[in-house]
Amino acid sequence: MRGGIRLLFLPLALSPLLPFAVFRANRIAQGEPRSLVETLGAGPAALAVAALAGGIAALAFARRPAWGAAIAAALILGIVLAAGWGASSLMAGVPTQARVSPGAGFWVALVAAALLLIDALARMRPRPALRLALVGFAVAAGALLLSSGALSQLSVMQEYRNRSAAFWREGASHLWLAFGSFAAAMLAGVPLGIALTRRAGARGSVLGLLTMLQTIPSMALFGMLIVPLGWLAANLPAAHALGIRGIGAAPAFVALFLYSLLPIVANTVAGITGVPRSVTEAADGMGLTRRQRLFHVDVPLALPVIITAARIVLVQNIGMATVGALIGAGGFGTFVFQGIGQTATDLILLGALPTVALASATSAVMDALIGMLPGGAR
Amino acid sequence: MFRTLMLSAAVTASFAGAASAQVVVSSKIDTEGGVLGNLILAVLDHAGIETENRVQLGATPVVRQALVAGEIDIYPEYTGNAAYFFNRAEEPIWRNAADAYAEAKKLDAEQNDLVWLTPAPANNTWGVAVRRDVAEPAGVTTFSQFGQWVAGGGNVKLAASSEFVNSAPALPAFQAAYGFTLSPEQLIVLSGGDTAATIQAASNQTSGANAAMVYGTDGQIAVSNLVVLEDDKNVQPVYQPAPVIRAETLAEHPQIEELLKPVFESLTLETLQELNGKVQVDGLPAADVAQEYLTANGLLK
Repeated sequence: MRGGIRLLFLPLALSPLLPFAVFRANRIAQGEPRSLVETLGAGPAALAVAALAGGIAALAFARRPAWGAAIAAALILGIVLAAGWGASSLMAGVPTQARVSPGAGFWVALVAAALLLIDALARMRPRPALRLALVGFAVAAGALLLSSGALSQLSVMQEYRNRSAAFWREGASHLWLAFGSFAAAMLAGVPLGIALTRRAGARGSVLGLLTMLQTIPSMALFGMLIVPLGWLAANLPAAHALGIRGIGAAPAFVALFLYSLLPIVANTVAGITGVPRSVTEAADGMGLTRRQRLFHVDVPLALPVIITAARIVLVQNIGMATVGALIGAGGFGTFVFQGIGQTATDLILLGALPTVALASATSAVMDALIGMLPGGAR
Repeated sequence: MFRTLMLSAAVTASFAGAASAQVVVSSKIDTEGGVLGNLILAVLDHAGIETENRVQLGATPVVRQALVAGEIDIYPEYTGNAAYFFNRAEEPIWRNAADAYAEAKKLDAEQNDLVWLTPAPANNTWGVAVRRDVAEPAGVTTFSQFGQWVAGGGNVKLAASSEFVNSAPALPAFQAAYGFTLSPEQLIVLSGGDTAATIQAASNQTSGANAAMVYGTDGQIAVSNLVVLEDDKNVQPVYQPAPVIRAETLAEHPQIEELLKPVFESLTLETLQELNGKVQVDGLPAADVAQEYLTANGLLK
């Protein structure tokens, strides 16, 4: 570890001085801070501090970024496990309504270790395939950790236990909303973008219209769609049979689709018009038809720009799908809005954390895919 | 003629088939919406009526719009909200429980083909709750008594949002009607504060708070040992929850009216506080809380 990133050692080393956990008599009561010693007991707390000190020293002397990454990852694992273990010990012998959540010390240590890990990974300059493998490893490790029961006494996991069936159901609707509307927008947006490269006159007005759509607040757009979709469902049996309703998933799907169009269409246009003139002239000179030139020259060269739009749209959709819960579309937003209604932070987190994890993993995978494209920037 | 009627009925039924076979039960996304929606759902399910669960669908405008459009068939609404649906918020009629219910029932029947079923005898309106250890020694259960007590030098410190303190229909209306005035020292104003924050302040006696702005059936009230003051001069609009159902659905399943009547009649202010508290404070799923309440009280026959 070198340079300014070493400054992160300071918050990491001082984190044991902050409350490690927060104890609440019930899920909406005021939290009472618990120090590392109070949470883990004196002996284990001393061991934890020693392990932390050892980790910092090892990081300071790690010469290769890969070692740094491994040590930082181990630190993160240790911090999370300590929180899980601490929660079980604080929950022992208290009423089941009590809740234990991570405190400031946990978060400071976790964020510092995560930044150290990100820095080490960046300096490893991994190839796209390795990056994909790392994402897979992180997902598998997270799944193993969550299913092992080591974290089961943490407040968020208690919320999960009370709603495990609903969690997976909402997760499935969330994925369907975000990825389904993305796929539909790609199918419609890329051909539209290609068509616009040939009709420069229409380009301004279509992109202007899409930009205008983008500026409508999501809640307003959802609301505006209830009436026309409800009318369709009532008057077209076929639409009704397809599951189109004024409330529920349909308006959310349509709204996400509309929001997705601008980045996809705009980047398709930019990508194709950005193909160097010398290349297109060479293609024309070789006697390629317009269709051949499109599929063999223009689209492949524009692909990195188009996939970049795809990445933006996917991450945007995963985040925005949460708002769909307000019109009965389901998704992780259900927990966020129920949690806000109950002033229960843990329930809000049960919806927010998987959304963030999903968006980060998707973004990392898409980044790696962009890197794998010929000519793509790594 | 009869044959034409039968035919058109059959055609309508086959077109509307998927829509009308199941009773779509819905509710608002908040805590009480979860409890009331699941109560309705459990009662209908138990009676063998086919239902579709759209409980905790969304915010009030969304649920209301969905009901009027026929996307959902039944959901619990508050009588006082009818004042806003029909743009008549300024009228005094909404401050009387019976009149407000009758007016809401009449307007929705005339204009939207909706039926308001039996309401719960609970009023989830804006008000004030006082710590039990303060209210009981002082003998305060109604706002009139509270007004006399405060005017006579009672030691009160109210935690409230700035909206509650400043907006004319809230605290100023209470003060005018009940003849008391809270000095700035007797107020803790939480700008943008919600009832969760004010109840917490009174419960923990933060800065000496011993009273809080609340909604009548807030789930935290019971565990926080607060008592809600009765608005005995009807200063605030009454917000009684009642199931609102599409007339068409009720015609198909007329038994729904009698099925839900005993359930909603059993939901007093304290009962709703307790049920909301189980969801909000203990973190239990609303469906389990509803099922348990109905079973324990013999309401599933």
